[in-house]
Amino acid sequence: MTTANVPLLEVRDLCVGFADDTQAPALQDVSFSLKRGEILGIVGETGAGKSLLARAIIDMLPGEGRVISGDVLVNGQSTSSMTKQQRLGFRGGEVALIGTNAKALLDPVVKVGEQIARVLRAHRGIGKKEAWKESLRLFEQVGIVNPHRRAHAYPHELSGGMAQRVVIAMALIAQPKVLLADDATLGLDATIQLQVLDLLVAKGRELGLAVVLITHDLGMVANYCDRVGIMKSGRLLELETLRAFLTDGPKHPYSQELLDAARVRPLPMDREPSQTQEPAQPLLEVTDLVKTFHVEGFSEPVRAVDHVSLTIRKGETLALVGESGSGKTTTGQCLVRLLQSDSGSIRFDGTETLDLTDTQFRAVRRRMQMVFQEPYVALNPRWRVRDLIAEPLKLGDPLTRAEKDARVLELLDLVGIARTKANVYPHELTAGEQKRVGVARALAVRPDFVVFDEPTTALDIRVRAQIIDLVRDLQKRMGLSALFITHDLNSVRSLAHYVAVMRHGKIIEQGPTEEIFANPKHDYTRELLEAELPIEVRAEVRTCDLQTERQL
Amino acid sequence: MKTSSVTRRFSGKTTLIIGLTFLALQFVAIVFAPWIAPYSPENADPLNALQEPSVVHLFGTDVSGMDIFSRVIFATRINLLISVTAVAIAFAIGVPIGLAIGYYKGWISSLAMRVFDFIQSFPVFVLGMVLVSVMGQEIWNVAIVLAVLFTPVFARLIRAEVLSLRERPFIAAARCSGATDSTIMFQHILPNALTPAIVQISISIGMAILLTAGLSFVGAGVRMPTPEWGLMVSNGAQQMILGIWWVALFPGLAIVFSVLTFALLGDAAKQMFDPHSRSAS
Repeated sequence: MTTANVPLLEVRDLCVGFADDTQAPALQDVSFSLKRGEILGIVGETGAGKSLLARAIIDMLPGEGRVISGDVLVNGQSTSSMTKQQRLGFRGGEVALIGTNAKALLDPVVKVGEQIARVLRAHRGIGKKEAWKESLRLFEQVGIVNPHRRAHAYPHELSGGMAQRVVIAMALIAQPKVLLADDATLGLDATIQLQVLDLLVAKGRELGLAVVLITHDLGMVANYCDRVGIMKSGRLLELETLRAFLTDGPKHPYSQELLDAARVRPLPMDREPSQTQEPAQPLLEVTDLVKTFHVEGFSEPVRAVDHVSLTIRKGETLALVGESGSGKTTTGQCLVRLLQSDSGSIRFDGTETLDLTDTQFRAVRRRMQMVFQEPYVALNPRWRVRDLIAEPLKLGDPLTRAEKDARVLELLDLVGIARTKANVYPHELTAGEQKRVGVARALAVRPDFVVFDEPTTALDIRVRAQIIDLVRDLQKRMGLSALFITHDLNSVRSLAHYVAVMRHGKIIEQGPTEEIFANPKHDYTRELLEAELPIEVRAEVRTCDLQTERQL
Repeated sequence: MKTSSVTRRFSGKTTLIIGLTFLALQFVAIVFAPWIAPYSPENADPLNALQEPSVVHLFGTDVSGMDIFSRVIFATRINLLISVTAVAIAFAIGVPIGLAIGYYKGWISSLAMRVFDFIQSFPVFVLGMVLVSVMGQEIWNVAIVLAVLFTPVFARLIRAEVLSLRERPFIAAARCSGATDSTIMFQHILPNALTPAIVQISISIGMAILLTAGLSFVGAGVRMPTPEWGLMVSNGAQQMILGIWWVALFPGLAIVFSVLTFALLGDAAKQMFDPHSRSAS
């Protein structure tokens, strides 16, 4: 048999279940095949069985999971008929899996160069010196600058993107034929994510691997994959070429729903509030705000917020964008006084808040609220939804029990949670509902100004779209002013009137949203905007053009 | 593979059932001691000293001729009274202290920790002997000694929980919602911090029983003729080499039984509070 016709990876009617037979199988009749150099994107929401599929392919099912029926063939060989010895060579040899959070996958007490060298020696049986040299070469191949120095680093000294590169280098050592990337870039900053994906896909094409990209980001699929598979509840609903999927539209209604939700975006904000009325008074005026942290082992304090100035008028929303560590969340925490600012001025509705005592600041708290980043951890796990939402009410005028209950129900309606959920605990809610509870808490005392910290991250595609809709609705109905802290540029467009770009604690560019998006002045802003992965066929055509250009 | 999960679940429940059964037996002994015991526990009968276990004297008699079975039964009262009281005091004092020194950083908190270090680094028996000899060999004094010993255990447990809980985002969120320090401490942090301390209660009672017996054994506990397991083991130890085994064995078994009970209950509590098995109320 020639390798050209045999698919590298073939999954036939795969069903996977857990020991508990009462439940439906976790994977049902999943079938697909991949040829050399082909890249398949598997998209689905949390719990769709994407990761389980990857584990089934590499024959490492978690816990009591087992293959009920069907088969996985790699290079024409069935995994179920392999001997124990063959299996060892198969995992990591024929098929390699790259997971989320690369740092956790590396041994924390061994230099990364040494770790690569170990794998090299195990797989190729070469000497110590040679292995080290080879590992430096591999570092270079995966785009690590200054490999001599990096190879001596321990995993915690590397950035997330760098660690992911090391893991990719490690995965490529045994020259696998199939590469599975299970949310490999989750949690990385957009620009870094782009670099890692570029590397992964370029290597895949160069070495002629079959690559499966598992993700919940349709933009990623649209930009890197040849085909797309949509998964839901353990089933592969749809398997299409990317072009057909995007131009002709998905066949399955669920896929359509996902696509629509992911595309929810360029509905530019109506700028009514500031245009129809005479120029509104500034509600929040921040001038030269500074916040430093002392880091152990460094004599110089780190400036997390470095002379930040911004202004938000009534009814306006400003988005503070930037990558992790840029100081945007710290800025938000200084505003609501979860952190004490070092110097500068924060004027809220004419009052200088930095001079207020904690007791005096309570009056400001009532008008200035915050929605926290991670929905679940920001809710006390032992409080019922009802009590969680009622908690901020004590900032306002004293209410009777009946009034409180009425207000809670009103708020539940406002954020779109069923009233029956009032008595449940946070862990019984979905991530989207938890986020909504967070929003309801912030709105309980009818504030004038709300800080939204990453309101759309860590949410599934459809939930994210729903939360964006909710916030838009609230802006319109309540005339809310808001500071929107995010790295999700898609949501900025549909939620903010103005954008401020933050980097290394400083604001490097700010202005009206559409202006920044259309005509970014700073290089870094441009870089951020380019890292956005649009869900359009245009992107695919563009890469094709590039390739043809190169061929010419 | 299928069976392993079944046995795991089964054993968790079994632990609880066995623990509760043992506890119930001791409870019966405490309440109905005068009806169960055939003799008065402090009634010396020198004519019948050191009798072997028989139908008349189930566990035999000791050197003064007291009925060992009756004494073992009555001692349940004393031993559990001392242990439960000691742990209750330690919990009642240790938990608020732990909460306060975990929540507020400062020199008082550091000082409290150093005091706990001092208490815990001191050999238990030396400390117990000193305290009891200063205050007198009374039941309550033994309980107080044990309470002093166990207070740092609870305070440390709570403090460790509070230290991590106070940095959690939901505390920041509560602060934004206008929660005061006392609301945050008692309504947000405490309910989330209590689990390990509650599990520790049962384990500590078991340890307290052992320590009470130990203190009596070295002469720092209660005095004769009070029926107390450790004291009885201590008395019997001298006769052990003469082949008179029953005087020390039966109270010893009672200690094992009682400690085991609370160890089992502690295990069961740990499993019950395991977050993986927690569900809606």
